[in-house]
Amino acid sequence: MSAYGISLVSIAGINVILAVSLNIISGFCGQISLGHAAFFGAGAYAAALTMIATANVPLALLAALIMGCALGIIVGFASLRVRSDFLAVTTIGVNFLFVGFVRKQGWLGGEMGISGIPATGFGATGNAIMIVALACMTIAFSLYMSRSWMGFAFRAVGEDESAAATLGINARAYKLAAFGIGTALAGLAGALYTFFTQFITVDSFDFVFSVMLLAMVVIGGVGSTWGVAVAAVGLTLLPEAIRFVNDYRLLVFGGMLVLVIRLAPGGLAALTRNLFARGKRV
Amino acid sequence: MYYIDLAVTGVSFGCMYAIMAVGLTLVYGLLRILHIAHAAVFALGAYVTVLVANASGSILGGLIAAIVITPLFGMAIYRLLYEPLLKYRPDVPMVASVGLLVLMQDAFRVLFGEQGVTFRQNSLSFTTFDIAGVNISAVQIAIIVTTVVVFLGLHLFTTYTRIGVGWRATVSRPQIATSFGIDPIKVRYLNFAIGSALAAVAGGLVALLNNLVDPGIGFVVSYKALAIIVLGGLGSVQGTLVASLVLGLVEAYGTIFIGAWLDRDAIAFLALILLLMIRPQGFTGVRTA
Amino acid sequence: MLTYSLNSSSRGRKVLLGFASLVLLGAASMPAHAEIKIGFQVPQTGPAATDGKSAQIAGEVAADDINAAGGVLGQKVQLVTYDDQAKSDQAMFTANKLIGEDGVKLVVNASYSASGRAAAPVFQKAGVVMISAYGVHPDITRAGDYMFRLEHLGPPQGIAAAIYVGKKLGLKKISTITMDNDYGQATMEGFTEAAPKYGIQVINKYSYSLKDRQFGSIVASVKRDNPDGIYATGYFFTAGPLVAQLRAAGITVPIIGSQAFDSAKFIEIAGPAAEGTYIIDSFDRDRKDEALEKFFAEFKQRAGYPPEGVATETYSAVRLMADAIKRANSAEPDKVRDALAATKDYPLLEGKLIGFNKLHEMIMTVPVNVIKEGKFVPAGEVDDLDAIAPPEK
Repeated sequence: MSAYGISLVSIAGINVILAVSLNIISGFCGQISLGHAAFFGAGAYAAALTMIATANVPLALLAALIMGCALGIIVGFASLRVRSDFLAVTTIGVNFLFVGFVRKQGWLGGEMGISGIPATGFGATGNAIMIVALACMTIAFSLYMSRSWMGFAFRAVGEDESAAATLGINARAYKLAAFGIGTALAGLAGALYTFFTQFITVDSFDFVFSVMLLAMVVIGGVGSTWGVAVAAVGLTLLPEAIRFVNDYRLLVFGGMLVLVIRLAPGGLAALTRNLFARGKRV
Repeated sequence: MYYIDLAVTGVSFGCMYAIMAVGLTLVYGLLRILHIAHAAVFALGAYVTVLVANASGSILGGLIAAIVITPLFGMAIYRLLYEPLLKYRPDVPMVASVGLLVLMQDAFRVLFGEQGVTFRQNSLSFTTFDIAGVNISAVQIAIIVTTVVVFLGLHLFTTYTRIGVGWRATVSRPQIATSFGIDPIKVRYLNFAIGSALAAVAGGLVALLNNLVDPGIGFVVSYKALAIIVLGGLGSVQGTLVASLVLGLVEAYGTIFIGAWLDRDAIAFLALILLLMIRPQGFTGVRTA
Repeated sequence: MLTYSLNSSSRGRKVLLGFASLVLLGAASMPAHAEIKIGFQVPQTGPAATDGKSAQIAGEVAADDINAAGGVLGQKVQLVTYDDQAKSDQAMFTANKLIGEDGVKLVVNASYSASGRAAAPVFQKAGVVMISAYGVHPDITRAGDYMFRLEHLGPPQGIAAAIYVGKKLGLKKISTITMDNDYGQATMEGFTEAAPKYGIQVINKYSYSLKDRQFGSIVASVKRDNPDGIYATGYFFTAGPLVAQLRAAGITVPIIGSQAFDSAKFIEIAGPAAEGTYIIDSFDRDRKDEALEKFFAEFKQRAGYPPEGVATETYSAVRLMADAIKRANSAEPDKVRDALAATKDYPLLEGKLIGFNKLHEMIMTVPVNVIKEGKFVPAGEVDDLDAIAPPEK
């Protein structure tokens, strides 16, 4: 496969992990997060610093996971204080705080970013294989969680907290868990991103990217692992396939987000379900 | 002198934010929706002011055009986007609103160019007065005067006119208002119309202040406006004014001192998050969570 | 989980079909078959879109000019353009695309530093020649010998500013205002370090972000400083408002700006306040140069505004690449690289390129303009080549 194909697969894989992990927080557990890029970024920076210090890949992955999770749990505490739309605003704030803070820190590269990050040693193909493997594992994990008691609890909390309480579900604990798990995975994706580019600047983790990620979740079908994964791949490839989309990316993505919410709120997942359901009836 | 200069800066920023944020507060107060796309309305107002002023040669003409056009845009957003989504949780229309803002921002880039637009004949931006050693520009004076007029006007409107009282009633006691024969739908349109017109005024003033309108103009102010309505106590117009002035002053003094640690957007958000955590109902609001 | 009830599934079906057909339709866009392909990375979208548009049009004018004169080695030149959004991941991605899909061996990167910095190692590894038209990250040329830069680095620009401010203008106490990005900071660092050597004392430093248009606090502080002059780094969309607000506050001392101030739009925004502003590394528009005048006219016609630094640098980069192909008598990257390295006294639109140093950084004097009556007027140049010499490694 050409270098172009490999990089395409790599970016798609990273986006899948990001979208599916966001789906755990916002889809399963109903906590809308518009700052997912901050956890992605935190993981990326943690991995970058670890690689520069030790060039140890598993350690970098672990550092990224922990960093994403820790930051996520802190933000998760915020979700316990405020209502859904204000939580979304808080997550926007977290994204801006992350970017605004990193920009000014010399030891984090500031405006110049962190360059010269050592390679993993797996080569571009090896990295891509690692990314695809982790993306598949993330999907599998998300599917498993969806069918497990935890998934049920998440959904209960997402739909009606007080009703969930009557079932003995500790809403607060589950919200924190959703955040912690989702953001840990986002951090992991950050590490993979660092391995791929070997040079990171804080601009890659801005609010607009968070909006794109949420767009992937909404378009794919909030709460549906497969829908979101397909949407992530599709929306990564779409700008490559269609020149127009590439030139007017934000217009198209913003427009799709608005249209899907307005006309087909269940996203792709609901649409396909409907399609097959209709088919069966005949 | 220095500290007074900073204060003048802070107050004029604050006034600008106030006029813009009022629209957001009004929508929230009535519908409990975070109308983030309001920033797009603001940006549209700024663009229309400049483009019409350049075409007609009159800045006033530009402002009037903006005040006429943006309410139509604002009301359309309500009718086409929010009304059908009211039955869902509040974060649904909010996310749709974010999508719309992102879309509009790119649309502005495509329609009006990345470089942005400037006034062709604009002496107003460059006129300043020296009052006892303090510099204040004509535009800053215009902003402060406009703010006073707007807030006073809103107060008089909602206290002494029939429509205004009906509006206020609908916000606080929708069922009772309906039983008195006030049409809630008309009130909603009025709400968006007034909020959007005010955003257009704010947009026009910012265009005059900077002599430049670029596609990103909406984004920058939108975050501040969000911070403001939370700090001010959602739905409270007086709270919005107070919070705007506070934020304006904090920014004016703060950027000099905190500027080394965080950039300006981050400062506004930091204040917002801290307040949300400590006092989710804002300075003057009532707890709704 | 958010479950929505679907209003109308037929509407929903339409959306699904629409989405599916969009993806299917996109399948193939065959690149046009052309003779010599030159890869071209520009930030068409994103925060750098303003410069991206200028760069794109300038590149196209250059390609058209080359082809109108018969092309290079009897073949036409074709630009293979991609939007890198001025982001590092997109730069790498489009670089891979250019190498893999389009089989390109020569590239002009007309984007910001993050892009050039990320793309450079990719191109170097593939043995593809890259000229960075205006990216300032120092690591771009350090990626290897296939990399060339046609732009003064930030620090040398800052040093040139210090020389001009200290020696030519004779100003002693300066307040500095830095734009917070790599370009703004690197340039200011060069200035601050060199300042004492030329009798300048930096009395206070301020900074602002790319998104700021309101500088009330900085303006009030500078007024209190009461310096002999002000040195600021920024782009025209920050410089315009900044200078307007400084003058509106009654500050009359000279303002010296960095290269990215250099745009007609700056004069438009700042209006009468722009008068008397010095711009370091601003190209000489008054030069009696047929090529320059022709480019000016052509660019203005296509873009609707007169060209600024980014445009001229991009045009020059493309023309230089073609010239190197001609001198090498081949489009093979190794030969073109050697021809580029051997360049001597080549006439760029911005002035004379004396040559490249060992690190393939350009050696050139730094011209200065001042704004008089709304026009760019030459105000001398900094020709102390040793002082402003770029790093050798």
